[in-house]
Amino acid sequence: MNSQTQKIIINIEDSKYISWESCLRNKLKNLKSSNIEIDCKNLDLSCRGISELISIANQFNCKVISFCSTSSKTIVSSQSLGYKSQFIIENNSNEILKINEKNLTFSKTNFHQGTVRSGEYLESPGDLLILGDVNPGAKVSAEGNIIIWGRLLGIAHAGSKGNSKATISALQLRPVQLRIAKKVARGPKEKPQLGLAEQARIDSEEIIISPMEST
Amino acid sequence: MATDTRVILICSGKGGVGKTTLTANLGISLARQGLTTAVLDADFGLRNLDLLLGLENRIVYTAQEVLEEECRLDQALVKHKQESNLSLLPAGNPRMLDWLKPDDMKRIVKMLKEQFNYVLIDCPAGVEDGFKNAMAASQEAIVVTNPEVSAVRDADRVIGLLNTNAIKPVQLVLNRVRPKMMANQEMLSIEDVTDILALPLLGLVLEDEQVIVSTNRGEPLTLNSVNSPAAKCYLNIAKRLQGEDIPLIDPIEESSGFGSKFRRLMQTKIF
Repeated sequence: MNSQTQKIIINIEDSKYISWESCLRNKLKNLKSSNIEIDCKNLDLSCRGISELISIANQFNCKVISFCSTSSKTIVSSQSLGYKSQFIIENNSNEILKINEKNLTFSKTNFHQGTVRSGEYLESPGDLLILGDVNPGAKVSAEGNIIIWGRLLGIAHAGSKGNSKATISALQLRPVQLRIAKKVARGPKEKPQLGLAEQARIDSEEIIISPMEST
Repeated sequence: MATDTRVILICSGKGGVGKTTLTANLGISLARQGLTTAVLDADFGLRNLDLLLGLENRIVYTAQEVLEEECRLDQALVKHKQESNLSLLPAGNPRMLDWLKPDDMKRIVKMLKEQFNYVLIDCPAGVEDGFKNAMAASQEAIVVTNPEVSAVRDADRVIGLLNTNAIKPVQLVLNRVRPKMMANQEMLSIEDVTDILALPLLGLVLEDEQVIVSTNRGEPLTLNSVNSPAAKCYLNIAKRLQGEDIPLIDPIEESSGFGSKFRRLMQTKIF
């Protein structure tokens, strides 16, 4: 048995294949049974799609270990089925962007539309922009800033790799817990004013919430 | 033969919010409107849809025997005593806990689809295998929840899973609404719940002691007691499911007299 993990790329833009299924089958054919990592590129897969993919891989005696994709839908589906998955930001060289504090301003923003529901977990290696609510029980984290065009009722972690300049902004900031870099704070007890966007950031070693500044 | 069968999953995440009661009453109401309806008890580990419908003593076979070709489908289907349009199919025996796979569920539902206008699947509580099996075969879903923080949280989790599995439409039924408690702000308001879950509200069901009586008797409320408030709610839900436009019950009107006084209070949120 080959214990090494092999990577398979499903690329539907490659016109050789009619569908991702045929692309996957073709690539699995040339593979001896092993553990595989699947790169779904920009393919949107539901949980059904992922389970189908797993069963195809099983037909070829392959065991899927993890996923990576540039589609947030695919990542959410594979994570909810319990697979290790990595979100990749699309850029020209198709490599995973390494972001450090210095070039944070150049990092790409990862965008999610729709409600993030209880039990779901969104993660971004850059900034994270969410159009919709983050419900109680959900968690979002980003290495950069988090901006929520909606209500934040769950847990948000900005600057997850230690960037203490990261901020969390939302139209309504009512989180269970806020984390910026290594600081953790419980959400405020009192209800926020309606119609006032707020921002959380670190000021003198503490997380503070203030009305959003227009910059 | 029905071609446009609707397969509806009735789920909640949390246990005890009223999935089975809704399934039984919705089944009866739809059958009364002349629609052939099958109710499939996917919660076979702790099955009690048969109890609610008063059909416990008539079950001989289950879907398991049908799939293993030990009997025909029409042998396993249990017709309701009074409502001949309604049939019950238990998915399995409580002792055989892990026989069912998503594919088995799909096969059962495919068979049912050939005979019925509606297939209602009573989903087990939780988001584990039982839920995944039941979800595999469904096209649309009704999420049942109570105006309680824990039930709403679990419903939210379930809705997320339904969305990633491309099940739609997903509609919401708010069960066990106590108008007085809502008016006094001791319970989550309807807006609190719909704000979080962001789903179209298919109906409200008022808290009704008659539900307990009918459960113990094995006669769903919608079968004969038309005067009970909960029965009215169930009937309305069945009609709305058919596309009829029936206004929602206003729980404040129901809490006799205090209406206007508390209407303004209802606007403010609990959490």
